[in-house]
Amino acid sequence: MLRRRPLVQLGAVVALAAIVVVAAILISGGDDDEQAASPTPGTSGEPAVNEEVAKLYDGIPQQGIDLGRKSAPATMVEIADLQCPFCADYSRTALPAIVRDYVRPGKLRYELHFRSFLGRDSVRAAGAAAEAARQDRMYQFADVFYRNQGPENSDYADADFMRMVASQVEGLDVDKVVAAADDPLSRPAVKEGEQFARNLGSTSTPDFYIRKGGVLTPLQVQGTAPEDYAKALDAALGGT
Amino acid sequence: MTLRRVTAALALVGIAIAGYLTWVHYAGLEAVCVGGGGGCERVQSSRWAELAGVPVAVLGLGGYVLILASLALPEELGAQAAAFLSLVGFGFSAWLTYVEIEKIEAICQWCVASAVIMTALALVSVARVLRDAPPAARAA
Repeated sequence: MLRRRPLVQLGAVVALAAIVVVAAILISGGDDDEQAASPTPGTSGEPAVNEEVAKLYDGIPQQGIDLGRKSAPATMVEIADLQCPFCADYSRTALPAIVRDYVRPGKLRYELHFRSFLGRDSVRAAGAAAEAARQDRMYQFADVFYRNQGPENSDYADADFMRMVASQVEGLDVDKVVAAADDPLSRPAVKEGEQFARNLGSTSTPDFYIRKGGVLTPLQVQGTAPEDYAKALDAALGGT
Repeated sequence: MTLRRVTAALALVGIAIAGYLTWVHYAGLEAVCVGGGGGCERVQSSRWAELAGVPVAVLGLGGYVLILASLALPEELGAQAAAFLSLVGFGFSAWLTYVEIEKIEAICQWCVASAVIMTALALVSVARVLRDAPPAARAA
């Protein structure tokens, strides 16, 4: 027959363990129901979630402008402008392979800074990206933006465009993204992205660096094909 | 075989599993997934593979080591400590298994194996706490 005291002890242990487990689940971000509770794109004439983009980034840790594990031995830093057509080419052709082969397995962390030096649409886009970063969805937002990029400085990045892009990113609060595009300079990240590029003496986009052991050095890429980036990264990561 | 020995054996198996996943994590390697399919890599590279920046594999390894170390404590205190640790591990393992199935839509066999070990440890540890014998006799 069980004695009363062990039962009381067990009850206390179970209660304490339950509290710790619930706290751990909350710290881990839960099951993302808050994001899933956002209005579902596609239900009111808006575009559906871009599944290809969602799949590319699904499950990879993302915090602000950072993508990938904090424990990665090195960080690839990109400076881009959402209006830049070369950045869009890179995003479509090389970045998916880098995410799949280096970031997802934890070999590399990715840090993406948007500057806004190509014109009004750049500034609006950087504001929207800053809000997407605040919601930890910047990489998906940028990917969809690039896929729909318009002619440079044609004022295409208006509220309707931002709404169309943001609607294709699962869990993104569309209204906040549109509001950020309308008031981009209220977002410190917009100025910080530009300042980051200037401090490095970066004059063109996309521009790439590798941060390893706290030291930031330019990433030497000979070419624009995915294998060119793989070669450069393998050389830069050698010995990690 | 006493419950203490069962606890020690299970904890050692858990240390081996969590130790392997920790090594894979820091070496930037892909965990060997029996039957392929990439489930282990998908789970290990998901955002749920870290808790507050600490790899879950490291937390598991720490948990198993502490459970093993609890055997050095007096039986009553050690049983309670092991029960607490294994119940936390069981609860969090159950949560992670749910995430694997519902969110990541991939299964990591190593994680499932660890969850099974942690479940067994929780059962054994609870049995140790509930065991109806004088504490003095159990500490011997």
